[in-house]
Amino acid sequence: MSEAILCRDVTKQYKMGDVVVDALRGVSFEVQNGEYVAIMGPSGSGKSTLMNLLGCLDRPTTGSYILDGIDVSTLDDNELAAIRLKRLGFVFQGFNLLARRSAVQNVALPLFYAGVPTRARLEAARRRLAEVGLAERADHRPNELSGGQQQRVAIARALVNDPAVILADEPTGNLDSQTSEELMGLFAELNRNGRTIIMVTHDADVARHARRTIRLKDGLVVADETQGED
Amino acid sequence: MIGQFFAEAFGVLNGNRARSLLTILGLIIGVAAVIAIQILGHAMSGAVGGLLGSLNDRSFILFPNARQADIGKAAFRIDDIERARNVVPNVAVAMPAGGTQRIISFAHAHPRMTISADSDVSFVDVPLVYGRNIDAQDVASASPVAVLSDSANRRLFSSIDSVGENIRIGEHRFVVVGVRSKPIQGIIPITFGGDVFIPYTTYERFYVRSSPLLFARFVVTDPSRIGETEVGIVNYFKALKSSRSDYATFDRKSFTSTMDGVFGAMTLVVALIGAVSLVVAGIGIMNIMLVSVTERTREIGVRKAIGATRAQVLAQFFIEALLLSSIGCGIGLVIGLAIGAIINRFVLIALSGVIAPIPWVQSVLIAVIFATIVTLVFGTYPAYRAARLDPIEALRYE
Repeated sequence: MSEAILCRDVTKQYKMGDVVVDALRGVSFEVQNGEYVAIMGPSGSGKSTLMNLLGCLDRPTTGSYILDGIDVSTLDDNELAAIRLKRLGFVFQGFNLLARRSAVQNVALPLFYAGVPTRARLEAARRRLAEVGLAERADHRPNELSGGQQQRVAIARALVNDPAVILADEPTGNLDSQTSEELMGLFAELNRNGRTIIMVTHDADVARHARRTIRLKDGLVVADETQGED
Repeated sequence: MIGQFFAEAFGVLNGNRARSLLTILGLIIGVAAVIAIQILGHAMSGAVGGLLGSLNDRSFILFPNARQADIGKAAFRIDDIERARNVVPNVAVAMPAGGTQRIISFAHAHPRMTISADSDVSFVDVPLVYGRNIDAQDVASASPVAVLSDSANRRLFSSIDSVGENIRIGEHRFVVVGVRSKPIQGIIPITFGGDVFIPYTTYERFYVRSSPLLFARFVVTDPSRIGETEVGIVNYFKALKSSRSDYATFDRKSFTSTMDGVFGAMTLVVALIGAVSLVVAGIGIMNIMLVSVTERTREIGVRKAIGATRAQVLAQFFIEALLLSSIGCGIGLVIGLAIGAIINRFVLIALSGVIAPIPWVQSVLIAVIFATIVTLVFGTYPAYRAARLDPIEALRYE
């Protein structure tokens, strides 16, 4: 198996006024293609910072980050945007759908930035919605959908560009436990179909669905354990 | 790709229709007002041009300058006018001007009308409906012949062909030789001429006698040199009065330039209104765009997270501003054209009888320039703010 993600001695410092905060203090790990990894840690452990770096929303202060064979730690803003567009799919805690657009329009949005023509865009978006079991709800707006359905739309949006890695940030944080379970089932299915998934969570029940858990504390990796199949 | 950005921006604006409409309301009103006023000005200058159509460019009027103590002393006698024609070059006809009111009799009609002096080289260009104009023979022999205006012919003869009829003007008998058509009436009520036109020589003999005159009409041979002829005439009369009196002249060109001044001032006012409404509408749009950027911070964060570049976010907000101002200016253009056309049709054309064409090109140009300026000046900053947002901060924004 090839590496989807390769982090080497990644550090991140923030300047808060005169104070320098070490959010990450040398994190190294690898994620193979097709893996399903949970990143856990208490607040302040640096998991959000790590997520931002993995998501190419930010650059490490030192160290290198290789995503899908590309060293992204030295890319400029536009190149990072291109990486996010082509190789990453985001799933957020708050779903972050555009409220005034239908589900299918939301899913099609990344393809808009990729320059795909409207018709092809909407066709692809409908296929992705069918994949997450929402074909019938394609023309509904987010406020006409339940939380679980909204998160499925968000997952369809993350999948639409066929990314190398799916990054999910507390994807079940706003959902009840039954809906969370259903969503975890969807993630597991996507993973079985070969998707690489990295999920940040502080919920051990959720993390249990992943096959590997990386634990962070004070900006360092304190544990990296692989569990057996469920 | 650009087309898709327009579709995307339209989707955003259409999703919040009420706010989009309120945003562009100022622009609609501003553009509509400027275009309507502009059409009005255009139609008015057309109406004035139509009015002046009856005053030809070969003639001018001489009169004492109003800025002198005793205008009565500046009055001139009839033989002074005659002499001026021989002394000043380029003068074909010199005659007293200003009508005199007389009772005109035909059958049982006795209306009071204005009698004006005219010559074979006419002071006004109004076509005839019947008969002929005064000719050189009439002037030379001071014949008792009359050309009637359309309104005089209507009152005396109920508009029928009255050529050859005898009428009485005061105690003198005249033969009608011609009838003029209805002159174009401008919105400014100045009529050049009266009801009945007779040879100026006849006019002098019957009605002027030795009374002092305050107005004289001159017809020049070469209209291109009318300016210097006017100066020559004014100087002649000043010399005659040993420079104690001053005179002024009035011709088509001076009237036109006066009106041009009036319309120039009006255009300036319109331009100022335009500039003010442009700024007000632009600030309105910028304000809404800035609010929109703040309100949609999370959305911008999402768009950036899923791969939108700075340039793409900039383009999106810029095109939203462009669409807003274009739609606003487009609606304003339509409303302005409608208002202008209605005023033109039902007020100005009705008043003046002159059909001034709607200045389409100018109107569209105004709307396009408005839209461009508003977009560039007031759409750029909000778009820049949106593009500059850090995706991490933006995603965290509540």
